[in-house]
Amino acid sequence: MNVETTDLTRRFGRHQAVAGVDLQAGPGVFGLLGPNGAGKTTLLRMMATVIPPTAGRLRLLGRDPGAYGPRREIRRRLGYLPQNLGYYPGFTVVEFVEYFALLKEMPPARVPAAVAAAVERVDLGDRAKARLRTLSGGMLRRVGIAQAIVNEPELLLLDEPTAGLDPEQRVAFRALLRDLGQRATVVVSTHLVEDVGAACSEVALMDRGKIVFHGTPAELTARGADQGTGDAPLERGYTAVLAAART
Amino acid sequence: MTATVPAAPGPVTRRAAASIPGSGRLLRLELRHNATLWLLPLAVALFWFNGYREIMALPPMWNLRAMTLQNRLLLDLTIPVTAAAAWMGSREGRRNIADLVAGTARPRWARQLTAWAATTAWAEVACLACVGVVYVMTARQASWGGPLWWPAAVSVAGVPALTAVGFAAGAWFPSRFVTPLVTIVAFFGLGFGTQAASGDHSYWQISPLTAGAFDIGAVPGVAAFYHYLPDLSIAQVMFAAGVTLAVLGALGVSAALNGPRLRWLAALIAAVGLAAAGTADALAGTGRLDPHGMIVIPALHDAASDQPVRYTPVCSRTAIPVCVHPAYATFLPNVTSAVGAELTEIAGLPGAPARISQVAEVYQQDPGNAITSLAGVPGGSALILPDQVPGEHGVTSAQFAGDLQDTLGLQLIRDVILGGNASAAARPSQAELAVIAASVRPGSMWLGPSAADVNAPELSGRPLLALSRPAARAARRFAALPAAAKHAWLAQHLAALQAGQISLAQLP
Repeated sequence: MNVETTDLTRRFGRHQAVAGVDLQAGPGVFGLLGPNGAGKTTLLRMMATVIPPTAGRLRLLGRDPGAYGPRREIRRRLGYLPQNLGYYPGFTVVEFVEYFALLKEMPPARVPAAVAAAVERVDLGDRAKARLRTLSGGMLRRVGIAQAIVNEPELLLLDEPTAGLDPEQRVAFRALLRDLGQRATVVVSTHLVEDVGAACSEVALMDRGKIVFHGTPAELTARGADQGTGDAPLERGYTAVLAAART
Repeated sequence: MTATVPAAPGPVTRRAAASIPGSGRLLRLELRHNATLWLLPLAVALFWFNGYREIMALPPMWNLRAMTLQNRLLLDLTIPVTAAAAWMGSREGRRNIADLVAGTARPRWARQLTAWAATTAWAEVACLACVGVVYVMTARQASWGGPLWWPAAVSVAGVPALTAVGFAAGAWFPSRFVTPLVTIVAFFGLGFGTQAASGDHSYWQISPLTAGAFDIGAVPGVAAFYHYLPDLSIAQVMFAAGVTLAVLGALGVSAALNGPRLRWLAALIAAVGLAAAGTADALAGTGRLDPHGMIVIPALHDAASDQPVRYTPVCSRTAIPVCVHPAYATFLPNVTSAVGAELTEIAGLPGAPARISQVAEVYQQDPGNAITSLAGVPGGSALILPDQVPGEHGVTSAQFAGDLQDTLGLQLIRDVILGGNASAAARPSQAELAVIAASVRPGSMWLGPSAADVNAPELSGRPLLALSRPAARAARRFAALPAAAKHAWLAQHLAALQAGQISLAQLP
């Protein structure tokens, strides 16, 4: 398993953002669904080793991120796209992706080819020399995805990756996710259930810091067969599980 | 977006050897996108406006310009350099990129050091360019000597300290308000730091803007006759390096996710930096003014530096040759024109020197920041040029000439006219005083009927030129003679004048 959490908890003061999450994920695309404030971003930040858990056990890629050496090794094999992507406006697309390739300590000789490949994979080859300040929100999101995948990560954590992408790009992105999921564990946190349905082999639903559902998209759909609200079957499953969890 | 990759790289492996080029590439990126680069024109403009114009208005003497450069350059660079460093330090917080970079393998401290290094590199380019321009111009203008590197080294060492402080402030308080705040604090802290010194034992001498003893600072006489003493400069460089290390070390210690080894290393560096800065400041506090106007720190002092500088003096072709230090060669015409008439008048007379040579001024520290110049070298053959030479701080050639006539001119005439009575308590005769007053050009100032003895120099505690009205009339008569005629008369009548056998009526 590339991601293993046991009773994982994270508090911010008196607020418990993640409350005892147990989760295992191997290679494939893992969808993390949930309403606003459910704790998805906090869980992803812990998996990205950005913040440590308050309690519980977390193992990533078979290593303990609590220790410095293993954490650094995990980070070399990690790709992370945060929900709010900050960027340096003066950097070009290539420079920004190269910057993160170097921060991920990729062997310098491999960096130029890896950067070019990542930029091509997000369809920004024609804007490779453009400064980030000149790009649209959707393009910036793709730059963020490029920096996340530049090191061919074994664990890829994407927080709302399709926000701002147009429908054509979202379709292409799902294909990219499926491809990445063949070799790596991809955890995608999203509000958009259709992304999960199209690309994920496994899905977990979070509410109030806890996992209230863990299964396949088909199983989630089945939960909403005779209850729940929404236009799509997966949406009905989503609302049905949430309603059940809250009662 | 495409789902296929041209050549999918394998697992990322790290080789130690690869980390150096990786850091180099990162540094190249940081250099290309550094805020200091955009502020370089401002830095250069500030230096041109505030420092360069003042330095280049000074006489072309290496000591004067180099020490003034140290006093100005770092202060001029403080605003753009500290601001750029604070801006770069706060970049991750301001750009909301902290989460993104926090999940990368390279330690935060290493990442910060790379950005700081790029910031410092551009700031040093600005600093070295300013030093280079001043030194190249001075090399083309100076009549003697070579560049003084220690004052420049202090400025160069001060730049990383400024960028470290600015960068750390930005990193610790990543707000856009920290940039103006830290810039203002650094500017006024550095500026007022020099004003807090009290005497030659002050710890405040450690300020990198302090280029010499407080009350004299950069004057032509310091480091001209004797070697420039690097004692204080060494302490200042040590202090600046210590501050840099301490701040950068603290930056590494404060980054909790750096890992234990790196944090220990950072703590060690911070401790070494603090020790270096503290030691340097303690050393500065042991400084004392040496007789040649420089600060000696006993623990850092090399006695070999106390030897006078060897030089071949530059001499005038006047009736009595006047020889000055070659650094003052450009002022020799000012000297000879100021006292030329006196030289012609007394040349060859008993008591007149055969040659006048410039000697070094001797300084003595008084309580507080006051410094006394012990200019009283006996004999008219020794010349001490005024501290303020033409071109320095608005001093004109006329003021310089006036100073010389008041000192050298009067001394030469007095020594010859009064002869053996010059230092005695014997009261000079009215005829002697009339000749002295008539021979010294500023004497015309006190030859007026209403100001016969006002502001006159003293001799043996009495006004030298306390002239009676008849004596003033005789002096005006004698003053109207050409120098050659005065010389001819004195050659014939000097002995009689000194013996008191010449009456006022007998003066031509």
